[in-house]
Amino acid sequence: MTITISTDSSSTLETQIEQGAPADVFLSADTTNPAKLVTKGLNVGDPVKFAGNLLTVIVPTANPAAIASPADLARTGVKVIAAGATVPITKYATMLVANLAKEAGYPAGFVAAYDANVVSQEDNVAAVVSKIELGEGDAAIVYVTDAKTSTKVTTITVPTHANVPATYAGVVVNASRNAAAAQAFLSWFAGPDGQAILASFGFLPPS
Amino acid sequence: MASDQLRPPARGSSGPGGRPLYLLAVAAGLCLGLPVAVIVVRSLLDGSLATAITDRVVLDALTLSLGTTAISLLLTIVVGLPLAYFLARREFRGRALLEAVIDLPIVLPPSVAGLALLLTLGREGFLGKPLDALGIELPFTTVAVVLAQAFVSAPFFIRAARLGFASIDRHLEDAARVDGATEAQLFRSVTLPLAGSALAAGLVMSWARSLGEFGATIMFAGNMEGRTQTLPLVVYSEFTGGNLDGSIAAAAILVLAAFGVLVAVRVLHWGQVLDLRSLS
Repeated sequence: MTITISTDSSSTLETQIEQGAPADVFLSADTTNPAKLVTKGLNVGDPVKFAGNLLTVIVPTANPAAIASPADLARTGVKVIAAGATVPITKYATMLVANLAKEAGYPAGFVAAYDANVVSQEDNVAAVVSKIELGEGDAAIVYVTDAKTSTKVTTITVPTHANVPATYAGVVVNASRNAAAAQAFLSWFAGPDGQAILASFGFLPPS
Repeated sequence: MASDQLRPPARGSSGPGGRPLYLLAVAAGLCLGLPVAVIVVRSLLDGSLATAITDRVVLDALTLSLGTTAISLLLTIVVGLPLAYFLARREFRGRALLEAVIDLPIVLPPSVAGLALLLTLGREGFLGKPLDALGIELPFTTVAVVLAQAFVSAPFFIRAARLGFASIDRHLEDAARVDGATEAQLFRSVTLPLAGSALAAGLVMSWARSLGEFGATIMFAGNMEGRTQTLPLVVYSEFTGGNLDGSIAAAAILVLAAFGVLVAVRVLHWGQVLDLRSLS
């Protein structure tokens, strides 16, 4: 089986599939986008959860803004790189920021201060990571797996109980000309062999 | 001589090439115009254009687009006009190389231009790092939007202006000098007017390129409403965010704004031509 991969933010890919992109399988960083395809009747079979992920804060290796904890994300003058409103990471990040605001030691108005520090809304999380790697931004909330694969960023740990678990789901697209093979791939991916590969990259089992 | 240059073009299907050329031209015009017309008509019919005009995000983007492109154009003229004149009138070693370097942003993909600007003027950039030490930060500011636009669009103006200046009959300038004109008077009253239509065409192309600028802007200046989110960025963000109607409406507004300016320039241009005709 030859596999061709097209990557972008899950919301962009979902839009492309709606507009007729020839996809066999759609793998999303959330359950919302596959659900959108189901509502529009563009799926074959139910969405399958295949992975989980957690969030972390990354800063450039040089840490120009001297970020020591996630609380510093709200400090005046810190440049936070975020993603666009419909990119899955933004939904998770918004929840994380709201959770952190309730923690002890986090300033009042944390959420508003964080929002005020966002200087750019990139199209996808990979672009966010790139901007941090380039040293253009001071900090960003991204997936643990992104931090793991990048050598030019440092992670700032997020309190475990405040962290937001991301659930990744995939679905076979009805435009597929080989639905059987597509279903087989998705089952394998969610099965023990696929899970082992995903775990080696830092992904968690789906919640 | 002057009246020959001002002979009006043949009307409709008469003139060289006859009917087949006319039909071919109409077909080509439709091919180019149809996709754009579809955007405007679709957003008018489904009412999204009306909603978009009152949408704060779209209005912010439109104001930002028009404002930044105007400033980029001024920057282009200030930097580009002297450079174009210099390139047209002076011979020096490496002139061809310099011209090729200046033309390069025309050929480069906008994302390459954006990356180049980021690596040069970004916080860790070649020039950006010393600038940052002085407290001057460029990325994620409206200034960055102007810089990105100017970088990709100035070469269009410089190229057109250079060719315009180079095509002026030197004898006319010499005659003016014989009549006692200073170099400044010469430039203002003889050179500029004669290069006028080339300069105007260059300005229009440059402005149009600025208005449509996307790749370099999103990479270097970022994407924040009111500060760096120009209208092309809104079109893309809305589309990838699943708001197709919003995307089409923003695109329609961009098309109408651009069309409005181009028509206005045309009207002014024909106004100029009419003035000249009244002299002959």
